[in-house]
Amino acid sequence: MAILLSGQSRVIVQGITGSGGSFHTRRMLDYGTRIVAGTSPGKGGQSVHGVPVRNTVVECVEEFGADFSVIFLPAQFAGEAAHEAIYAGIKTVVVVPEHIPIADMMMVRKAAITMGAIVIGGNTAGIITPGEANVGIIPDIAFKPGRIGTVSRSGSLTYYVADTLTRTGYGETTCVGLGGDPVLGSTFDEILREFDGDDATKAVVLVGEIGGIYEERSVPVVKAMTKPVIFMVGGVFAPPGKRMGHAGAIVEGNLGTAQSKIEALNNAGAHHARTFMDIPNILKRLGI
Amino acid sequence: MRLYEFEAKKLFGEFGIPLPESRHVTGKDDALRASEELSFPLVVKSQVLTGGRGKAGGIKTVSNRDELEKSVEELFNLKIKGFPVTSLLIEKALNIDREIYLGITINRAEYKRSVIGSEAGGVEIETVADESPEKIQRIDLEIDDNLYSFQAIRLAGKIGIPSEEMRDFSEIALGLFNFFVSYDAKLAEINPLVLTRDGDLIAADARVSLDDDSLFRHPDLKEMGIERRHEEGELTPREVQAREWGIPYLDLDGDIGMFPGGAGFGIMGNDFIRYFGGRPANFMDSGGGPSPERIARMLILLDENPQVKAIFGARFGGISRCDDFAMGVVKFLKEHGLSKPMVVRMTGNMWQEGVKIFEEARRESPELFGNIEFHGIEVPIEEIAKRAVELAGETK
Repeated sequence: MAILLSGQSRVIVQGITGSGGSFHTRRMLDYGTRIVAGTSPGKGGQSVHGVPVRNTVVECVEEFGADFSVIFLPAQFAGEAAHEAIYAGIKTVVVVPEHIPIADMMMVRKAAITMGAIVIGGNTAGIITPGEANVGIIPDIAFKPGRIGTVSRSGSLTYYVADTLTRTGYGETTCVGLGGDPVLGSTFDEILREFDGDDATKAVVLVGEIGGIYEERSVPVVKAMTKPVIFMVGGVFAPPGKRMGHAGAIVEGNLGTAQSKIEALNNAGAHHARTFMDIPNILKRLGI
Repeated sequence: MRLYEFEAKKLFGEFGIPLPESRHVTGKDDALRASEELSFPLVVKSQVLTGGRGKAGGIKTVSNRDELEKSVEELFNLKIKGFPVTSLLIEKALNIDREIYLGITINRAEYKRSVIGSEAGGVEIETVADESPEKIQRIDLEIDDNLYSFQAIRLAGKIGIPSEEMRDFSEIALGLFNFFVSYDAKLAEINPLVLTRDGDLIAADARVSLDDDSLFRHPDLKEMGIERRHEEGELTPREVQAREWGIPYLDLDGDIGMFPGGAGFGIMGNDFIRYFGGRPANFMDSGGGPSPERIARMLILLDENPQVKAIFGARFGGISRCDDFAMGVVKFLKEHGLSKPMVVRMTGNMWQEGVKIFEEARRESPELFGNIEFHGIEVPIEEIAKRAVELAGETK
């Protein structure tokens, strides 16, 4: 079992004929990801690494039963592409490009909720269910099938956490990169709930970092979890970050610092790991 | 991305927001000429991309030509939080009855836009929120929703705007909201919105931050001279260099040069160094998919920093590939040379190709590699961080 992505997921690549789309399609295919089609308006009928290309997402859904999409397009087209996928009936959309306009991503989130889809990113490394499928730009070297779920805002930290879990024999069920953009399609909440409902996942590692308040906001969900949550927060010693301005500070209050995130998650009953190697030690202590 | 007050006001004007009569000037002669067109008393305001200019003495009220001349000279010699004052906004002073706050911001946690009003304008709104939260009124709007007059009128009532002024207030609030949406703003504030003794509402100040990532939608801003800009004050020479090269970089006070991959580990790696008893000399982020050129430049920044005693390198290739990383390091070694000990771990996408590039270069010129300890996935990153702390200790 896993969350969001499995070997059965019928994946399409939006922007498959671009250099990034094409390069990572090869990698995803090599991993065994079931990529059924790709889109590139005006290039329908071509193929990339043997994957058929269509002009629109709707064609991919009707012809190939696509239910999962990954977007490899420049940021200014990503919002539109995500809407296309959502309204075509795709259930999970992974947005790889970074620097997506804030208003675009907020509209995407709204469309996703309306249509019952989940959008991950922007600026995400993607999602991997080790041994089954890998979507995005995640290097698979560090990942092995196993018992722990991970969710992180940062790509590189996703890799390091998996590296540690694999090295110590735990392995991973699914690893989700939420993305590094200021406004994200999904927050920790949605992913934690998914993990809580997944039998194969015995514990979840949540990796946050300074800025934003998604970590603090996840407290009620962490509290309600039936599984242990281990967390890391980057930026304990970072110089004070930029604020969104006075009105932003009102909405976000005094949240957003590493201290506030650590305190909130500790109070929610999650376990703080300072370094990656603390994670297996905590798991052991919890009898996992 | 912050705008100067004069830029923000120019845009506000296009949305029908009433403003004081003003001139934007870049020199003393212009300032004196402006005073002939406007009439005293005038307010002279430093144009800087930071808050707190009032407290820093960046705003002066003048009632005659001599005072104006003196103030202008003073202000052009002033630095506010590291920002030099390069232009001034000269405005007709307002006859103030009351000061109100009106602002709009993105509420990231709720995925909404928030319109905020307060009867307590003219002071830092954060202070008001802390000390008298009951004076803050807020309307949360769905991202695809409008601000309607009835909502603005209701807000006006809650923050004590007299009935006669409510319609004017509503027009200003709607204008500000339309500006906010049209220009992809993250923050738009009028603080204070002045109610004059004559019963006029006038935006005395304007503070705007735009979403950098939406600038491509607004070519007209470029025509106004508004392009992607940074919001920090004074930079160190290395930070200036890094900025020219497009590398996110901050100088810190330690002695371990941080040469990480993405921003996530860039931040976490600094914590690790501190946990293991060391002190990072910098924060740095390679950005997604750095070219060999960029990798080489990251190393130049560290090698040429006299504070740096050892370098901690970490590359987990995702969208950034290990072959590009290795080429960048080799380019640096050949063209610049490494004068400090460096420990580095490389794994991830294309790591085999990366290792091959290193091995070939090492065979060709082993002398270039004297200061480097290389590791792959077999060594945990914590051990690499500890080793960097050790190396920095040894070279003390």
